[in-house]
Amino acid sequence: MSQPSPSPPRARTEVADDGSVILWVGGAWAAGTPLPEVAFRADRVCVRTDGLGLFDSSLPAWLHAHLRTVRSVDLADLPERLKALIRMAENVALTGTPDEGPGLLENIGSWGVESGSSWGRALEHIGHTALGFLRALVGRARVNWSELTLQMQTAGVDALPIVALLGFLTGLIMAYVGLIQLRQVGATVYVANLVALAMAREMGALMTGVIACGRTSTAFASQLGSMNVSQETDALRALGINPVEFLALPRILAVTLMVPVLSVFATFVGVFGGMLVACAGELSVEQYVTQAILAVSWRSFMAGFVKSIAFGFIAAWAGCYRGSVAKRSALGVGEAATSAAVLGITLIVIADAVFAVLFNLYGV
Amino acid sequence: MGREVLACENLCVGHGGRAIMSDVSFSLEHGRILAVVGPSGCGKSTLMRALSGLDEPVSGRSTLLGQDLAVATAGEREDTLRRLGFLFQGSALFSSLTLRENVELPIREFLSPPRRELRQLAEYKLALVGLSDAMDKLPSEISGGMAKRAALARALALDPEVLFLDEPGAGLDPVTASRMDELILRVREAFGTTIVMVSHEVPSILRTADYCVYLDTDTGRMGAYGPPRDLLTSDAHPRARAFFSQTHRT
Repeated sequence: MSQPSPSPPRARTEVADDGSVILWVGGAWAAGTPLPEVAFRADRVCVRTDGLGLFDSSLPAWLHAHLRTVRSVDLADLPERLKALIRMAENVALTGTPDEGPGLLENIGSWGVESGSSWGRALEHIGHTALGFLRALVGRARVNWSELTLQMQTAGVDALPIVALLGFLTGLIMAYVGLIQLRQVGATVYVANLVALAMAREMGALMTGVIACGRTSTAFASQLGSMNVSQETDALRALGINPVEFLALPRILAVTLMVPVLSVFATFVGVFGGMLVACAGELSVEQYVTQAILAVSWRSFMAGFVKSIAFGFIAAWAGCYRGSVAKRSALGVGEAATSAAVLGITLIVIADAVFAVLFNLYGV
Repeated sequence: MGREVLACENLCVGHGGRAIMSDVSFSLEHGRILAVVGPSGCGKSTLMRALSGLDEPVSGRSTLLGQDLAVATAGEREDTLRRLGFLFQGSALFSSLTLRENVELPIREFLSPPRRELRQLAEYKLALVGLSDAMDKLPSEISGGMAKRAALARALALDPEVLFLDEPGAGLDPVTASRMDELILRVREAFGTTIVMVSHEVPSILRTADYCVYLDTDTGRMGAYGPPRDLLTSDAHPRARAFFSQTHRT
């Protein structure tokens, strides 16, 4: 880059006898120093120099910006290097009309089409997953079964510490809150019922599902999204292997199997957490355990268990789906991970509401 | 022309202290285009990274823009790097930024011009490579050839004195690759930039390069240095000639 001289950049215009504008430029031009401002409207402009010193790209960039709309430009008086820098931009640049971008209506339309096709892609992915499971059952799917145990460890065993911590704290908090309310009616013994039933029927499954979304869905979306970027999924397709069967099925199966196990584990840890609070005050361990066992019927336990299977499936599917439709860029992978967590948690809460209505209808 | 911009003496480059290519010695004058050629895996990109100061050589000495990179302090290295432009093989555009923002980034960071000037400069650089109509697109929305041109515009953002181009024609069809060659020649003509490019596209090298460094993968040493047409025809460097003529035929 040329060194700037003490003389500042300057520009001025004058109107010639024939009506054209003469644009005079002079001084030293360096990017980062304040550049002069001129305004003119003309069909024909002649650029001339007046004591022009050293210059860098800021001068041709300034001229390019000011002369873009001028029909006829005379550069004959300019130094050869400046002429070359201006012409180079013009030769390759002025070959099309600038893209003005979409209007409001077009944006709304695009959003509608994109939303529709997004739901369409989601349904298509669910269909492919269901078909893949059926094909796997009859041994016709190409599934990477070696992934299954690895994913079961990652999504299940490795999640034990966080599930234990959150389950314990959930049970503990519920017992605290429950005790405060139940003490007012002299029914503190029912705190065991409250914690055990809530954990077994609702919180164990819901909490584990949400943890699976945060840990596993995002990981799946990143993994499959990165494979999209590096064209690994294209390579699978080229080999005649369905990426949903090969990549998604073992992941979905692993999480669907492990989340119920984690949910049961969270239930027990939560009940234990509640016991610590309850037994520190009014209840004996024996009382608490007896009440907890009496509170949770086999139906209630199974209700929570069935929900956790569904939540595990949803969490894994959301991750695999968002990863498979991720844009082929680092940004796209990040967006896929975020949207996988959001989609997974939203669907889990919706599914929980649907389960609540169904269980109520059928008296579960 | 005439001022020495880049020189190296018995340079040895590699990874983690392990030498890949040694005995590299040559010098390059201002405004010249040098092509580093050789078979895949011979260390072309590694040599370019060492010449530019991005990586340290295993041994030997090189000077770039009058700065001995072996003895340069971190600050001196940074100053030298600011006078260089890089076009990486995979374009390396920032995927979360539009093409305009990609070009604006180095200008804003190093020159901090007012908003209007920043825009003018970025638009001008993108116009130089023919991307005026795609300024507000993301890298994921453009073709490989356009990404290469956008990366070249970003490399030109700070008016570099030396441009390092890693496989500028890689992955491009012959027509687009030929346009890229024209663009490189026009950049040299308009900006007077010295250009070092890694390539194994012989037609492209013959079109653009003034000098050529041939890296011999069999001996692990620099095999030849000279104008590319001389290497293609001369008997003095049979390995280089064989490489050029075989690649040229295919």
